[in-house]
Amino acid sequence: MQISRAFALAAAGAVLLTTAACGGSDLEDDASDPASSGAAGDKGTVVVGGQDFTESQILAAIYQSLLEDAGYQVQTKLVTTRDVYLPELSKGNVDIVPDYLAGLTDFLNTQKNGPDAEAVSSNDPAATLAALEPLAEEQGISILPPSDATDQNAFFVSQDFAEQNDLSTLSDLAALGEPVKLGAPPDCEGRSDCEGGLTKVYGLDISEIVPLDFASAQVKDAVKNGEVQLGETGTTDGTLEDLGLVLLEDDKGIQPAQNLTPAVNSDFLADNPDLEDTFNKLSEALTTDDLAAMNVQVDLERKKPADVAAQFLEDKGIL
Amino acid sequence: MALVDGVPQCYVDNDWICTRYWTDYRPELVDASVEHLWITVISVLAGLVVAVPLALVARRNAAVESVVVGATTIIYTIPSLALFSLLLPFTGLSPTTVIIGLALYSLTILVRNVLAGLQGVPEEIREAARGVGYSDTRMLLKVELPLAVPVIVAGLRVATVSTVALATVGSIVSYGGLGNLLLLAVGNQFKAQIFAASVLCVALAGILDLGLLLVQRLVTPWTRHAR
Repeated sequence: MQISRAFALAAAGAVLLTTAACGGSDLEDDASDPASSGAAGDKGTVVVGGQDFTESQILAAIYQSLLEDAGYQVQTKLVTTRDVYLPELSKGNVDIVPDYLAGLTDFLNTQKNGPDAEAVSSNDPAATLAALEPLAEEQGISILPPSDATDQNAFFVSQDFAEQNDLSTLSDLAALGEPVKLGAPPDCEGRSDCEGGLTKVYGLDISEIVPLDFASAQVKDAVKNGEVQLGETGTTDGTLEDLGLVLLEDDKGIQPAQNLTPAVNSDFLADNPDLEDTFNKLSEALTTDDLAAMNVQVDLERKKPADVAAQFLEDKGIL
Repeated sequence: MALVDGVPQCYVDNDWICTRYWTDYRPELVDASVEHLWITVISVLAGLVVAVPLALVARRNAAVESVVVGATTIIYTIPSLALFSLLLPFTGLSPTTVIIGLALYSLTILVRNVLAGLQGVPEEIREAARGVGYSDTRMLLKVELPLAVPVIVAGLRVATVSTVALATVGSIVSYGGLGNLLLLAVGNQFKAQIFAASVLCVALAGILDLGLLLVQRLVTPWTRHAR
């Protein structure tokens, strides 16, 4: 009796431990899987970090493919916010992150100079990059040349409204001189990249801000059926064309430059200098329209980010 | 909306229940479930390994007991997001961050149940054991712990089920098992994925709960016949 009970306990313990061990080794297999890399050689492990919204997932998948092709073993860790991955990138626990120029600049600037620090990002990518580089360097982060592809806030009208009034820019809309209802999140009021900029920089007459979520189906419906004339979304929103909506160009530059840019741990980059070429090739090829198209594939067609990334790299002749 | 041909209708309609999703995303679902399972199992085991000595110390006297029980209860009131963020600078984006957090949470339930189990051993039985010459250690291992098993396993079951649910929060450091899929799906309104990950979470909790019940039946055969 005693023996059988002891045995049963031991067996139960063993079962639990085995499950645990199996799980553990499975994960390690995943992490160290050399994947479908055709390249020979083992250059060690790279951790790709980033945020977990659609566009960031796709870019992380593109980074992963590029790095695997270059002979690295890649682990991707996507988290909810920049303040989770950035300290890890600084320490080298994360090696490379697809990030946004002004977003990263503002984050590092407020981290260093306090939440009320004056913004050093602007609509000019080169100036923003120049402001970012020293801030990033202090954190042990190197910024590779940004892409022209950019994910900025943007404003859209209906295709019909644009054609009737011959609109292509926000200045054109302001020149109409008509009061405009704007569909945007409530925090839009007064912001220099939203209501504040639209009224002060463009001289737009905004009669009302109708509170509608950024890039939501609701704001698109509201613009389409004329409840509001202007709605807010992002430049990489790929759904607009099919819905009969069109972006107006931010010709006076009220939006900070959110160009896609690889942020790399400086020590890691120093040890792997040839990565710079690899990522420059990507940044040169990537366009805002590519991002918009890939976002649609993941968000609406429910393709997997890895598949979308592989197709993109093939189409562009990068891999 | 003109979508590319060949997109499954339930993706276009964003249905909650989409069989195509379960086949298309089978590898992701399996990986996430496996990760969820081992994170849960290791966390609860780690919690138990810490809870038993804590309970043994706590039962020495009432003052220590209230400190130990109080401290492990207070841990439970720390929001999980805050706890993981506190651990982040030390353990980084690793499973360790999640496991330490979850093990700490499981202590609240486990310490109380181990303690209650040991305290539930009738005094006559202890005296009988002492009378036939059992040392304290031998009495603990051969008499007290075996008799406490039903109460301890009851605690393990509650701790395990709650850990399965809590483990999803690990997604903030990218080790949330099914929570990773949930978070991504909430982000882009992928209802089929929200549904599938939730169903698997519930199933995992149910399976582990049943498994522990079976283990208890196996190791305490007397509880089936007595009473």
